[in-house]
Amino acid sequence: MAGQTSDFPAMHFPALLAAGGLIDQATFLSGVKGFLTIYYLGLAITNAVAAFLLWHHWHRPKAALVWTIVATVFGGILAPMAGSGDPYWTPRMPEAIVSFLNSWLSGQVGAIVYTIGSVVFLSVLYLGRDFFVRPMVAWTGLNLALLAMGLSMVNQNFWQVVSKGDNIPIVGLMFLLGFFTWLATYRAVINDKRIAEGLPPLEKLDDEKVLVWPDLVYTELVCMLALTAFLLVWGILIQAPLEQPASSVKTPNPSKAPWYFLGLQEMLVYFDPWMAGVVAPSLIIVGLMAIPYLDFNKKGMGYYTINERKFAYLNFQFGFLVLWVTLIVMGTVLRGPNWNFFGPFEPWDSHKVEALKNVDLSEYFWIGLLNRGLPKAPTGSGFFVELGYILLRESPGFILMGIYLFVVPPALAIGTTLFRNMYLKMGFLRYMLMTNLLLMMAILPIKMALRWSFNLKYIIHIDEWFLNF
Amino acid sequence: MAEKKKLSTAEILAMARGKAAEASAAKPAGESPSPESAAPASELPAASAEPDSAAAVEKKPAPKPAAKGGARPSVAEMMAMARAQGGAKSAAPAEKPPTEKKPVEKPAAKPAAVKPAAEKSAPAKSGGPKDTASILAAARGAKPGPMTKAEAAAAATSPPAKPKAVAPPMPTKPDYAKPSPKPVAKAVSADESRRGFLHVMLGSFLGIGMTSLASVSALWTLGFARFMFPNILTEPPSRFKAGPKEGFSPGTVEEKFKAQYGVWVVNGDYNGQQQIYALKTVCTHLGCTPNWLEAEQKFKCPCHGSGFYKDGINFEGPAPRPLERYAIRIADDGQVEIDRSRTFQEELGQWADPASFIPATA
Ligand code: FES
Repeated sequence: MAGQTSDFPAMHFPALLAAGGLIDQATFLSGVKGFLTIYYLGLAITNAVAAFLLWHHWHRPKAALVWTIVATVFGGILAPMAGSGDPYWTPRMPEAIVSFLNSWLSGQVGAIVYTIGSVVFLSVLYLGRDFFVRPMVAWTGLNLALLAMGLSMVNQNFWQVVSKGDNIPIVGLMFLLGFFTWLATYRAVINDKRIAEGLPPLEKLDDEKVLVWPDLVYTELVCMLALTAFLLVWGILIQAPLEQPASSVKTPNPSKAPWYFLGLQEMLVYFDPWMAGVVAPSLIIVGLMAIPYLDFNKKGMGYYTINERKFAYLNFQFGFLVLWVTLIVMGTVLRGPNWNFFGPFEPWDSHKVEALKNVDLSEYFWIGLLNRGLPKAPTGSGFFVELGYILLRESPGFILMGIYLFVVPPALAIGTTLFRNMYLKMGFLRYMLMTNLLLMMAILPIKMALRWSFNLKYIIHIDEWFLNF
Repeated sequence: MAEKKKLSTAEILAMARGKAAEASAAKPAGESPSPESAAPASELPAASAEPDSAAAVEKKPAPKPAAKGGARPSVAEMMAMARAQGGAKSAAPAEKPPTEKKPVEKPAAKPAAVKPAAEKSAPAKSGGPKDTASILAAARGAKPGPMTKAEAAAAATSPPAKPKAVAPPMPTKPDYAKPSPKPVAKAVSADESRRGFLHVMLGSFLGIGMTSLASVSALWTLGFARFMFPNILTEPPSRFKAGPKEGFSPGTVEEKFKAQYGVWVVNGDYNGQQQIYALKTVCTHLGCTPNWLEAEQKFKCPCHGSGFYKDGINFEGPAPRPLERYAIRIADDGQVEIDRSRTFQEELGQWADPASFIPATA
C-alpha cells in the first residue's frame, strides 16, 4: 500500500510508518502535495464564497474585497506552491516557531505550558468575547487556524499525528467545537446586550411554533441523507486504522484510548485506576444529573446568555473545554510513546527518557519533613493495630482532604459574597453538595499541578486495600 | 389539516383496494366482497365525503348494472355505494368462483341479509383477504366484536362453505351463515383452554408477530448465553519449565516467555540479594503489558506511562504497586520451573517467601 492505489494522503501514512518514522522530505512532499493543493484550493473557494456573500447579500464591499484578496492568496499563491512538491517552495511553519513549540511543549514542562496556556487562551477568548465573537474576527481566526494547520502538515511528525485514521475525527471535532462554541457565544453576546437594554432576547422574537411533522422530520431526513453520504465518502477515502493482530507481547506504544476517552486516560495518569476509571466518571455523571437540583438561577431558560448565568457558564466551560476537550487534544497530539509528552513537531522517540520518581504525600511528610521512617506496624500485629498504623501513616493526606472538602466550603461561604449568597439561597445540604462536586472537579487540575511540580504520586496511598487518591 | 390527512388515507386505502380488485378483475376478486361486508356497519359517511363520496353519488346506480353486466365497478365505487346505501344492501356482488357465480350472484344480491354470506365468501377463498377485511373493518370502527367471532366461525367452517355455496344457491347460504356463528362460538368456549391459547398466539397478525418476536428473542438469548462460554482452552498449563538455571545470566531480563506465558524471568538484585524471579507481565495500574526497555533498564507501560525498575518496583507513573511475581523453583530434574497459579505481591511482604525466587550468585 505504498501510496500507489490512491492519491489521498492518508494512504501514505502506513508507508511512513513502515519507513520507521521519517522519510526523505522530498518523497514525503510528493506524497502529500496533492492533498495540500486541494486543501489550499478549498480554503480559497471558501473565502471566495464568503466574499461573494458579503458583497451580494450583506452589502459590505470592503470586507468582500479583503476576503477576495485572501482567497486569491490561498488559491493563486499557496496552492501552486504546495502543489510544486518542492521542499523549498512548499509553504511551511517558520523554523523558529517549530523549535519554539517543540521545546516548550515537550516533556514535563510541556504539560504545564500546554495546560496553563490553554486555560489562558480560553480565558482571553472569554474576557474579550465581545470582540472575538464578531463574525469578521471569528472568520479571521478560523482562517489563521486553518493556515497554521496547512503549514504544519508539511512537517512529517505533525502529519503522522494528524493524518492517522484515529485522529482525523479529532481534528474535525476541534473545528466543529470551535464553530458551535462561537455560535453560542455570539448569540449570548447579542442577547446580553439586548437584555442590558431592556429588550427581550433573540429567541423570544420569533417564538413561532414549528411542527415536528413535517418541518423537523424533513430537516432530519435531509441531515440523515447528507451524513450518510458523507460517511460513505469518508469510508471510501480513508482506510480504517487497523493494526496488527492482537498479541499479548506487543502492546501498541503508545496505547491510546478511543478519542472520546482520552480525557479519562489522561486522568488515569494522575489517579488510581479505581478513582479515575470508576469513581470520577460516576461523579461526573451524578454531578451532571444533580445540576437541576442545585441550580436555583431561574434565568437563561430557552435562550443563550452568559451574563445572566455566569457561574454556571464558567463552571461548565471549565469542566468541558478545559478538563475534557483540551485533555483530548493533549492525549491525541502531545502524548507519544510510553505516554511521554512530545511537542507537536517532535519526533516520537520511544527511548526518550523522562526520569521521574513519584513520591507520596506520606513520604514527603514522614521522611522529608519529620525525617523519620514511615510508620509501620510491627510484623505479625493484628488487623486493628495495622489499621491504626496505616491511618497514622496516611493521616496527613486524610487531614488535607478533610480540610479541602469540609473546611473550604464554609470558608468560601464566609469569605466571598458569591458563595455566601449561594449558601443563603441553597441551604446547608445543597450548598455542601454543590461545593463538594465543584471541589472534586477542581482536584483534577490540582493533582496534575502537584504531580508536575512536586512529583506527588498520591495524597492518600493505601495499597493494602487498593485505596489511593 | 389533520382531518384532511385522515381522509386522504381512507382514500388511498380505497384506491388501493380498487386497484387490487381491478387487477384481479379477470378472475373473481375474492377481496372485493369483503370490504363491502365491512361496510354495512354504520360507516362514517362523512369520512368518504371528499372525491370518493362524490364519485359514489354519481355512481350510485352504477354498481348494480355493472354487477349484472359483468363489467365490474371498482371496489372503491362499490364501497362508496355500500356506504351510501347503508348496511342492508351491502352484499351486492358476492363474487364467487367464475363459472357458477353469475347465476348465483344476481339472486344473492337481492336478499339483503347476505351480510354473513358475503363474509363467508371472503374467508372461503383464503385467510388473507378475510383478515384484511376484518382489520380494515376494525380500523373503520365497524362492528369489532361480532366480526371476530364470525371470522372464527368462518375459519372453522370455511372448507365446506365453498362447495355448498356452489350447489344449492340461495337458501343454503343464509342457512349456513346464520347458525354458524353461534355453534362455533359455543365450540370455542367449550375447549377454550386449548384453542384459546392457540388463538391468542396465532389468531391474528399481532399475535403472530408477537409470537415470532418472542421466539426470536428467546433464540437470541440462548445464543448469547452460549456466547458467554466460548469454546477455548483458557490457559496454557500453569506450570512450565524454563530451562536450566544457568540460562539466566546475572543482570538480564529474559523476554522469551513473555508471548506464551506472560512472564519475564529476571536474574537481578532485590534488596541487595541476587535472585532469579519471574515477574508477571501485567501492569499493576490497569493491566496493559509493559515493555522492557533495555537501554533505560526499566519496564515501561505504554498505556499511562508507569515505570518499574528491573526488580519490579514501581517508581513513575500511576501504577500503585510493584509488578507481581510468580512462584519459581528448581524442579527435580534441575530445571527452573515457574508456577503461574501462585503470585507474590511485594507490598504484602510476600517477596520474602522463598517460593518467590531462586537465590543466585552475581
Ligand atoms: S496500565 Fe500500565 S500505566 Fe496504566
